[in-house]
Amino acid sequence: MTRDLTVGQFIPGHSLMHRLDPRTKLMLTFLFIIQVFLTKSALSLIFLLLLLWIYIVCAQVPARKVFRAVRPIIPVIIVTALLNIFYVSGHVLWHYAFLRITDQGLFTGFTLLVRLITLIAGCSLITYTTSLNALASGLEQLLAPLKRLHFPVSELSMTLSITLRFLPTLAEELDRIIEAQKARGAQFATGTILNRIRAFFPVILPLFMSAFRRAFELTNAIECRCYHGGEGRTKLHPLKLGRRDYAAVIFFLAAFAMTLIFNSIRQPF
Amino acid sequence: MALIELKNINYCYSPGTAFEKHALRDVSMAVDAGESVGLIGHTGSGKSTLIRHFNGLLRPNSGQVVYQGNDLWKKPNEIRSIRFQIGLVFQYPEAQIFEDTVGKDIAYGPRNMGIGQEEMNARIRESLQCVGLDNSYLERNPFRLSGGEMRRVAIAGVLAMRPKVLILDEPAAGLDPEGRHALFDALRHYRRKSGAAVVLVSHSMEDIADFVDRVVVLDQGSVALDGPVASIFAQAEKLVSIGLDIPQSTKVLLGLKAKGYSVKTEAYTVEQAEQELLRFLKEADRP
Ligand SMILES: Nc1ncnc2c1ncn2[C@@H]1O[C@H](COP(=O)(O)OP(=O)(O)OP(=O)(O)O)[C@@H](O)[C@H]1O
Ligand SMILES: [Mg+2]
Repeated sequence: MTRDLTVGQFIPGHSLMHRLDPRTKLMLTFLFIIQVFLTKSALSLIFLLLLLWIYIVCAQVPARKVFRAVRPIIPVIIVTALLNIFYVSGHVLWHYAFLRITDQGLFTGFTLLVRLITLIAGCSLITYTTSLNALASGLEQLLAPLKRLHFPVSELSMTLSITLRFLPTLAEELDRIIEAQKARGAQFATGTILNRIRAFFPVILPLFMSAFRRAFELTNAIECRCYHGGEGRTKLHPLKLGRRDYAAVIFFLAAFAMTLIFNSIRQPF
Repeated sequence: MALIELKNINYCYSPGTAFEKHALRDVSMAVDAGESVGLIGHTGSGKSTLIRHFNGLLRPNSGQVVYQGNDLWKKPNEIRSIRFQIGLVFQYPEAQIFEDTVGKDIAYGPRNMGIGQEEMNARIRESLQCVGLDNSYLERNPFRLSGGEMRRVAIAGVLAMRPKVLILDEPAAGLDPEGRHALFDALRHYRRKSGAAVVLVSHSMEDIADFVDRVVVLDQGSVALDGPVASIFAQAEKLVSIGLDIPQSTKVLLGLKAKGYSVKTEAYTVEQAEQELLRFLKEADRP
């Protein structure tokens, strides 16, 4: 159960999106987010949906999974969209007491709905196609210029990758301890709140003990291999930008420009 | 009738994802009261997955777990009370220790059962004695014990619930020979006293030959062999083909036989092999 949480959402694969450099994907995701926020007209909205569809196909992620990522926030999106429907001024289509719906409001609400869903769906693609480790190492390289400002980028990324590396291990350990205590009759979901909290001590304490033990062992192992911080360290698998990455960047920039153009074309809304 | 029986168990980890793993396929096995059964199999063959089904920690995707004639999953609320009767000792059980004294940690299981203070004290002392530790350990900090002592404290914590079926997942892994002997003596002692059935998961064929009456062999999630120790170890080739081994002493006898000496090869423990060799030497001395 906990294992499912910690693998993240990564689905191993070999799609176009999977093979892009994590740095490219991080930057393009950022670009996509801006693009979504700049989308204003009906035409660019349709274009945005088309893009999303293309990206999903390129990532070879089942559409079902993408929408599963969106599902939890649908209530929030709907409430936001509804508020917009009632608060934006324009031609009044319908009114009752202080409530009124305008054509502009309807359009804004709907656009917002589509934009937010596209945003979440689009961002979920990067987590579906990039392993957490790849993301961490991509982030490290993107932040590398900050080293000049004496920002400890390599140390931070080492910490991050150790954390990511040990999350599944700890989750597994947690599962094991829970099972062992259940086998001794532990109950986690009944009784007063105080009892429920108390029921977790037999799980949390051994987990901490083992986390500390692991931390000490790892520190020793790292020191034995003469780790001395990030200075001059190279990577086993250095990230390399390929032709694929440049093509993707060009495509995204072109799409970005198209959105701006579609925004400026005169339309009914 | 069997005390506990698994019928056609199928189990799949993370179904419907890329990490899907069909860990058990149509596994059936039974354990009679007082019996001791060995469970062997290659790494990843599903032993640990299987034993989690005995006390309802995992719910089979299909198939039944029947304890004393009742289907475990018919009444899921009663599974907790059944866990007190089916003790499960996990691989590296010392990881489950959490109290600051040995006595308190052993008391965790019995306290969950709702056992009174007086009987509790009796049980703690008894199970501590059973694993070969004396009462001076009661007030000691379990995290300051040696690995082998911690292991025995953890096992005492399960014995204190007085289970009718005791299941152990590689209890001797990582122990020195002395610790191993002490552990198996403790288990024998518990069996003799309580008449409990024991299921032993182990990679050591010596331990299996030493301790159990019957062996179940798992291979890639299904039962490959099931029978008395002698009949299983007699099928050396089959065992080797699924990545298992036979006891060293049996190997010696098989080797001698291959060289043309007329020894019997049905010996699985060192003692049995010793007897057979002595018998053979005596006969060979005679002209
Ligand atoms: N939580 C889990 N999620 C997914 N797959 C798992 C999980 N636990 C075990 N498996 C897989 O199920 C299979 C059986 O595992 P199991 O732990 O039962 O093997 P085992 O026979 O106990 O091995 P060992 O002798 O190494 O302890 C293995 O292939 C393992 O990779
Ligand atoms: Mg195992």
